[in-house]
Amino acid sequence: MELKNKKWTEEEFFKVRQEVLNHWPTGKDVDLEKAAEYLKKVPEHKSFPAKLKKAKEEGITLAQPRAGVALIEDHINLLKYLQDVGEADLLPSTIDSYTRQNRYNECEIGLEESRKAGRSMLNGFPAVNHGVEGCKRVFEAVDLPLQARHGTPDARLLSEIIHASGWTSNEGGGISYNIPYAKSVSLEKSLLDWQYCDRLVGLYEEMGISINREPFGPLTGTLVPPSISNAVAIIEGLLAAEQGVKNITLGYGQCGNLVQDVAAMKALEEQANEYFKMYGYDVYLTTVFHQWMGGFPQDEAKAFGVISWGSATAALAGATKVIVKTPHEAVGIPTKEANAQGIKATKQTLNLLRGQRLPMSKELEEEIKLIKMETKCIIDKVFEVGKGDLAQGVVKAFEMGILDIPFAPSKYNAGRILPARDNNGAVRILEFGNIPFTQEIKDFHRKQLEERAKVEKREVGFQMVVDDIYAVGKGFLVGRPNM
Amino acid sequence: MGKTVVLGVIGADCHAVGNKILERAFSDAGFNVVNIGVMCSQEEFISAAIETNADAILVSSLYGHGEIDCRGLREKCDEAGLKNILLYAGGNLVVGKQEWSDVEKRFKEMGFNRVYPPGTSPEVGINDLKHDLGIED
Repeated sequence: MELKNKKWTEEEFFKVRQEVLNHWPTGKDVDLEKAAEYLKKVPEHKSFPAKLKKAKEEGITLAQPRAGVALIEDHINLLKYLQDVGEADLLPSTIDSYTRQNRYNECEIGLEESRKAGRSMLNGFPAVNHGVEGCKRVFEAVDLPLQARHGTPDARLLSEIIHASGWTSNEGGGISYNIPYAKSVSLEKSLLDWQYCDRLVGLYEEMGISINREPFGPLTGTLVPPSISNAVAIIEGLLAAEQGVKNITLGYGQCGNLVQDVAAMKALEEQANEYFKMYGYDVYLTTVFHQWMGGFPQDEAKAFGVISWGSATAALAGATKVIVKTPHEAVGIPTKEANAQGIKATKQTLNLLRGQRLPMSKELEEEIKLIKMETKCIIDKVFEVGKGDLAQGVVKAFEMGILDIPFAPSKYNAGRILPARDNNGAVRILEFGNIPFTQEIKDFHRKQLEERAKVEKREVGFQMVVDDIYAVGKGFLVGRPNM
Repeated sequence: MGKTVVLGVIGADCHAVGNKILERAFSDAGFNVVNIGVMCSQEEFISAAIETNADAILVSSLYGHGEIDCRGLREKCDEAGLKNILLYAGGNLVVGKQEWSDVEKRFKEMGFNRVYPPGTSPEVGINDLKHDLGIED
């Protein structure tokens, strides 16, 4: 099938679907009509779109953890704990890394070993192996909306299974779940496969069932300049809308400078709505802010500081929801107790800041303007090289380095862009690669970095980047020399 | 000094940031770094080590499946004729917060010469490798 940004016909979809449901034995239990009936009975308090809409109207920020273990009973206990003790507003099921690579045989080994060892040997919940029956058991055991969170370039079977089980949100996208998560999956393939996931949601919408879709905002989570992640988020939003998705949450990962972070969230929401309108899509848009995605301090009290700072920014930016980190972030997957602590610290901060927004200032206004200008430079160029087709434009733009994500593992990413912080901790760009910014914008970034170099009495260079990557783990935002 | 190391992230793990930093740090320290990148099988580590006549294999794992992914690597190295090649592992090697001494013990029993907890600075590994290879500064 040729990649185009065009809504799939029913014929195209159901032809591919036959093959998808044969990828693993649990696929045969997915029945679209039964699934629709089941989804129509999902009560409002367990529907992702309904809960997001209510939060947006009330101007509050919801807290959602990440969590997933191998076995169903353990997974249910974990989610119930995060719901009852952790006071989570929305629940996840984080999917394990073998499932993300469609290595379901290895999931079976992981499940077997987990049973033997009495602890999870997988880093998430293998939803495909558990199938509709297992995923429904999880959904029926909890009292909150449920979302799959993963990092799967080909999530077609996973999406079929989770939606048929009452999970009303799915994270991911053809760019955001490929370039940061895979080494050698082509963009043509991942974009087509995510068109399938989006078309599935579109079909449910046409049957009167609302399902939320959330492109993964933070990408590599490491010094990603706001305009780059915003451009990818808006592009994935447009691609999803074309397939009939109506309820979209666009996201952004905390960079750390308050003004830049609030500006990025405001720019994202305003600009995404402008693009949806421009291309004639009727989308209900909400936003998600990810607490710091980079390296964390080992010390748990210090980690709570990082978590609370992210929560404060999410509240002041008016995000619809915030994705929560835990005090165990530096050492790996958290215990349920540590996970609950992260949510509670987050909610305390959100509650204290309820109703407050960062007031407009000259600095905030200028940062919003800059991010929007940069984002527009990128998106315009993507349309241009795609000769008007956004999906083809994405493939071409990555080949040419017009879209370029820092520190991504994919061989389809140019990897020529290099970011570093300015003297106030805002993320700027040191080497632009082929990102299509105007000279004026490039000069501004350079000026900001030179200002930091002067303060630190060293040259602008790669060492700054390394220092910035380790800085938060060591307790600071900007990686100064001899820290 | 001309010593060669194979560097990579094992299993289905796609964490690329530390890998890029280690490549730079070990290169700057004078090693010839063969970086096979993320998501590498045991076989890819071994064939890279054979092809480049490497002195050490440095395995990273950040996502928790390290224990499953690293098991049997020493035996496979032996079978492939890489007897006594230095094997280092580092990162978030297991699922969850576990006692570090237990994790280190389990990986040493699997045949790893050195095992590093999360957040270890590249200089620590570089100094250990120089020591283990008898390189004088």
